[in-house]
Amino acid sequence: MNSHWNSYLNRKLSRRDLLRVSSTGFGSLALAGLLGAEGQANPLGVRAPHFPAKAKRVIFLFMHGGPSQIDTFDYKPLLKRDHGKPLPFAKRRVVSAETFNLLQSPWAFRQYGQSGAWVSDLFPNVAKHVDDLCFIKSMWGSNSRHGGALLELHTGSDTFVRPSMGSWVTYGLGSENQSMPGYVTICPTQSHGGANNYSSAFLPAPYAGTPVGSVGVPAREARIPFIENHETPRNLQRMEIDYTQAMNRQQLERTGPDAALEGRIESFELAFRMQSSAPELQDLSGESEVTRKMYGLDNPVTEDFGRQCLMARRLSERGVRFVQVSHTYKWDQHANLKRDHEGNAREVDQPIAALLADLKGRGLLKDTLVLWAGEFGRTPTAQGSDGRDHNPEAFTVWLAGGGVKAGLSYGSTDDYGYYSVDKKVHFHDLHATMLHLLGMDHLRLTYRFAGRDFRLTDIHGNVVTDIVG
Amino acid sequence: MLALCGSAMAMAQGPEGFFEKNVRPLFIAKCNGCHGGANPAGGLSLLTREALLKGGSRGPSVVAGNPAGSLLMKAVMHTAGTLRMPPGPKLTDAELANLTQWINQGAVWGSSAVKDAKAETAKYWSFVAPLAAKPPAAGAWAKNPIDAFVLAKLQEKGLKPAAPADKRTLIRRATYDLTGMPPTPEEVKVFLADDSPRAFEDVVERLLASPRYGERWGRHWLDVARYADSNGLDENLVYKNAFRYRDYVIQAFNKDKPYDRFVQEQLAGDLLPDTGDLKTTFERWTATGFLSLGAKMLAEDDPVKMEVDIIDEQIDTLGKTFLGLTLGCARCHDHKFDPIPQADYYSLAGIFKSTKTMENFKVVAKWHEHVLAPKEDRDRLDAHLAKIEAKNKEIGKITRGENEKLTRAAKQKVGAYLLAAHEVRETPALQPLPADARVLIERDASSFDNGNAAKPVEPKKPNVPKGAKGPFYAEYKVTVEAAGDYQVELRDEERGAGTADLSIGGVLVKKGEGAVQNREASPDAGGWAPLGIFRLAQGENVLRLQHKNRFPYFSRMRIAASPLAAGKAAPRTLVQIARHYDINPSILEQMVEHLERSNGAAASVLYAFENFGKQRPAGEWTSPAAKLLEGFTGGTRQALADRYQTLFGEVAESAPEGDDARKALRELLTEKFGPFRAPDDAREYYAPSALNDLARLEEERKTLEQATPEFPQAMGVRDGDKITDLPIHLRGSHINLGQMVPRRFPRALAGENQPPLGPNTSGRLQLAQWLTGKDHPLTARVMVNRIWRWHFGRGIVPSTDNFGRLGEKPVNQPLLDWLAVRFVEQGWSIKAMHRLIMASNTYRMSSTYDERSFETDPENTLQWRFNRKRLEAESVRDAIVTVSGGMHLVDGGSILTYKDRQYVANTSKRGGVDYDRPIRAVYLPVVRSSMYELFTAFDLPDPSVPQGDRNASVIAPQALFMMNGSVVLQHTRKLAERLLAMPLTEDGARVREAYELALSRPASGPEVDQALTFLKRIEKELPAEAKDRTLLQWQSFCKALLASNEFIYIN
Repeated sequence: MNSHWNSYLNRKLSRRDLLRVSSTGFGSLALAGLLGAEGQANPLGVRAPHFPAKAKRVIFLFMHGGPSQIDTFDYKPLLKRDHGKPLPFAKRRVVSAETFNLLQSPWAFRQYGQSGAWVSDLFPNVAKHVDDLCFIKSMWGSNSRHGGALLELHTGSDTFVRPSMGSWVTYGLGSENQSMPGYVTICPTQSHGGANNYSSAFLPAPYAGTPVGSVGVPAREARIPFIENHETPRNLQRMEIDYTQAMNRQQLERTGPDAALEGRIESFELAFRMQSSAPELQDLSGESEVTRKMYGLDNPVTEDFGRQCLMARRLSERGVRFVQVSHTYKWDQHANLKRDHEGNAREVDQPIAALLADLKGRGLLKDTLVLWAGEFGRTPTAQGSDGRDHNPEAFTVWLAGGGVKAGLSYGSTDDYGYYSVDKKVHFHDLHATMLHLLGMDHLRLTYRFAGRDFRLTDIHGNVVTDIVG
Repeated sequence: MLALCGSAMAMAQGPEGFFEKNVRPLFIAKCNGCHGGANPAGGLSLLTREALLKGGSRGPSVVAGNPAGSLLMKAVMHTAGTLRMPPGPKLTDAELANLTQWINQGAVWGSSAVKDAKAETAKYWSFVAPLAAKPPAAGAWAKNPIDAFVLAKLQEKGLKPAAPADKRTLIRRATYDLTGMPPTPEEVKVFLADDSPRAFEDVVERLLASPRYGERWGRHWLDVARYADSNGLDENLVYKNAFRYRDYVIQAFNKDKPYDRFVQEQLAGDLLPDTGDLKTTFERWTATGFLSLGAKMLAEDDPVKMEVDIIDEQIDTLGKTFLGLTLGCARCHDHKFDPIPQADYYSLAGIFKSTKTMENFKVVAKWHEHVLAPKEDRDRLDAHLAKIEAKNKEIGKITRGENEKLTRAAKQKVGAYLLAAHEVRETPALQPLPADARVLIERDASSFDNGNAAKPVEPKKPNVPKGAKGPFYAEYKVTVEAAGDYQVELRDEERGAGTADLSIGGVLVKKGEGAVQNREASPDAGGWAPLGIFRLAQGENVLRLQHKNRFPYFSRMRIAASPLAAGKAAPRTLVQIARHYDINPSILEQMVEHLERSNGAAASVLYAFENFGKQRPAGEWTSPAAKLLEGFTGGTRQALADRYQTLFGEVAESAPEGDDARKALRELLTEKFGPFRAPDDAREYYAPSALNDLARLEEERKTLEQATPEFPQAMGVRDGDKITDLPIHLRGSHINLGQMVPRRFPRALAGENQPPLGPNTSGRLQLAQWLTGKDHPLTARVMVNRIWRWHFGRGIVPSTDNFGRLGEKPVNQPLLDWLAVRFVEQGWSIKAMHRLIMASNTYRMSSTYDERSFETDPENTLQWRFNRKRLEAESVRDAIVTVSGGMHLVDGGSILTYKDRQYVANTSKRGGVDYDRPIRAVYLPVVRSSMYELFTAFDLPDPSVPQGDRNASVIAPQALFMMNGSVVLQHTRKLAERLLAMPLTEDGARVREAYELALSRPASGPEVDQALTFLKRIEKELPAEAKDRTLLQWQSFCKALLASNEFIYIN
């Protein structure tokens, strides 16, 4: 090693935490400074949270379309009594469409567990886990359309393209797996904001969600972009890379130290490792028959979402920081509420329950934060004879694991579930709370772009401390 | 960020502070939605103290110091009778307490949000016009003033410029820099052989004259113009005509359009004085696409919010692109760091409010496009569209009239509908024939005797001849020996097979749903499904199945004698019931559906009928209509139905004012989705003359539509129909409006005394002229800084899009200012700036590492060497495609196969765009939120925000692309073929050619050896069955070579 190198190394050593960086196995100093800021050498290296974290990772179960709170988890006895009557107070100023009188839920509700949480007959399996769940019944957002609401849920903004929450979390904490992306989204939706819902926007590219498959692609065929080609045998590809790397090293000798050039050498090694470990994602053959059955892989109804949930567990287990699975754009029942909510629930209920049980059984639930959410709820008033309109004013999400208070029901809606009234929680508050559980202060997790320090919560957000265990 | 954006108002103390903290937010959240804006509800506005004291139609709302005497308090406490505010849940106790305290304290209002521009005693550097400093006296190294400025800074730090780059490096650098493509080996050879002192200048001139130049530098501009080919924010609609703006930009760079003119055209091309030349006019209209290209929330339910959001996007883009200022910050409050008060923001917003960007703000909204055709053609088009619209109106009128006839008749027969619906609901479902039933006739579906359905009838098919028009039917002749009741069944074996109407002997007996089972009702396994028990005549009967646009699949039909006990009447179908009562079957279906949903609800006006004969708790009926039937003792269902019919008849036209009961009845008749709406298939019941008219009109409309003249269109703006100023939006909310502000330019830059823009123009042209004034402190600086950034990889002001206080300061302001002044002096010519910069020794430095300089200035901020640059996304791809010899050069155009405003397909990976097309990457579509993976991987900036300083990250997905991307695989194969096709005898020569093509340099001896060794090793590793072995070896070599750092890093 020549003197250039020593000088280079020494300088970096004095500035950066070499030991820790090296231990990630990412290629030590190579990526130092690539982000252009004083910071972490490896963009995906593990970063310490602001304060001790309750949760280390997130699994987000996204129910695209807007599941109805009053038909799932927000039990409203008066809705049954007053079925057919007009809503006794004003509807919101801006609505997507006219709705009419109150429409009772077609499903019966029952109480479950020690906590006595009410769950409708749509979710008999999830119901068995209510004592592990923390319901937020008083969610609200500001946008009554899918696109705006999806963006609000994922990025906090329904006006601009902003980094998604998964990107912020990965930016804040890095990833514990250096052969996988830090933020993975399985079969994401391509409509209603599409990739903007998992993009890193102005955050550096490594924090963008890596799509595995896409909506409409069966989970069993979902792949990371460019992760394979069907022409080049693996051994040949390795030889090609070795040859490239030899040329690269020779060039480095000529140019002298250059962080970007060495970083690129490392990036090929990482890519090759990713490519080698990617098949593990899809290959569920190592899972026991019991597990596969538990997730419903033996049933065509639950197979696809079950596979997504099982992949999510495997990714989380391997240290991927943020995993999203999507039940894509099925929950939008302006009509056929009874038939389609039932069909949707049947597809996800068993897999979600399996995921919760599995995480718990493996001791992962305590530091894995699971979020179940749609982009809004639905109106208690009827649309047509068997449907409900979008309702951003009131809906239910639930969290599990990751340090939330289990068996809690937080906040409430009015007698019919039209407005959230007590202890209202906006998306910004949900985001602030999730970051808090992950050990981060939403006011301090900032990124400077175009002369401004941006936050996931923009200028909003309050941590809902009451749900933190 | 709280500190940055938190409202200054909230920090005020005392009663004002109390109001801002506890009261104003409450008004905004709960009241101003109705009691704000221009026409507040009840005449009561809660926007100012004065308005509140004055009150609305009910008199003063607040009596300062007297909460108990204030109507506002009574309304929110729900002690003012029916006046209960706000609608929805009552305010919380804390909120009520705050209001009480506020009124008690005298109802003190907060400070006005309207502030004058801050008096800036010491102006920030970027707000002062640049003065050209005299270049410092510098050493012999300095070849032109740029060098002198750079050298002076280097010397301050004891740094020395790097040695000049060699000629190969220089031509590769300059060619990629100006064209984004590699030099050809031939071009390198010519340059090496040219010993003249002007050799490099000649290369620069050649490159500037190449059309490839605009494709490269136009793309830089497209970054700041946040260019994209689709909307992509919420609803991803195709901007099919955006490419015209892109091509305009490329041409502008190629023609070296002066920058001031370039700016004016993009902001106000439609307002520039007419030259009489159509081509120029169209070009200018196209240029205004700049204002329209942004990502928009096209499905925002609140049209006012949608409009202000679009204006905001325009202002934000304008600020960053031309001024390097984050004007968007002033939407909600005065800018915290730059002297842009909120009032100035709304002064600019007024200009864009007076500009037509959108045709409408409906969900999903439609943006405006210019028709690029001569006036007479545009008039012809307008006239044509008006004709189509007239047809639409006529069709609408007939349809409405016929619907009205249908529903009016129905509303007179409510009693009949009730009885009929009751019968439908009471009719038990038919059971399939028992296994031992004696089937008299059984036929295959395909065996029909007559009809226009396709034969054979098959599963999963629409079963109609291609291109044929419906309705589609099949007739089965069946002969029975005796007249009587027979059960007809179909064997249903496909879920979702569809439905059909059944007629027997020309009489409709069963409609749609149920004739053939649909998916909902279909069991998983197929089986026999009864259609009904029908009367057949002795001898031949014709059974006809019919559907509007397809023919449902079923496998067989069978007929057996009625299984019911002899003498028992066959249950009637809905159609038969409707016929019996002489009512409309489709409306009857709606009534049945209504009753199903209502299910005897206590709130239903039909409660008495629905619960007739049932034991229900006394007093349960909660509908106001209850009193109309009080004491009714008709005794029979029929009598009750008659009574209802009479009552409904009375309210068929209107309900008496103040009569809740009759109003409730009437609601059932008029409800939009109620039972008496016009049914979906209303047309089946129209009068023949109306049907004839409709058919004719629709045919005429179709002919007109097909004959619509088509002209090229371009996204863009024009002045709006209404020129207007805007009020300040308090806290950025379009519901809380403050003081009106005139349209004008930011006062910190343009001064307090600005001539009014007047009522006849939006003011965009004046805005553009002001921006491009010779002495404007920002416009030229921002642009020369970008030009510098795009040449050197780093701006003199590194935050290229922010010249405000939160941006970075120039590392060499004298240089920046000198360049800015020079830029204007040279007629805003961008090519002149290239010549100037590329003639400098600064540009020609090598990128060599120097330990001492690196220690002092590791980031190379002062330019002691040339920055090694990674190729940008487009160049990576263009280089690969060029080196293989596969590049097809085109001059603009669009490869999108979508129609304008069509949704980008969101299921398949790439939405049907052919990204492998071997054209320059600048001509590939930029589909927002579903971008080409290569663009995403290699840092194409998010196309929703202006970005003059692209990232050059190094991430694994880039490596994956080089390893597995289809473009790489195709073109390395092509390159291998190209090398093998060369008339060369030895492989070493091929390796050398490959290096010249890919790296613009010869391979060294050891490199050739290394390559040959590699080829041999690959040969051994290739699978035994592999064909084209030589080609595959060479492809492996090419893959490795193009994946190398040297290929995509330019010294």
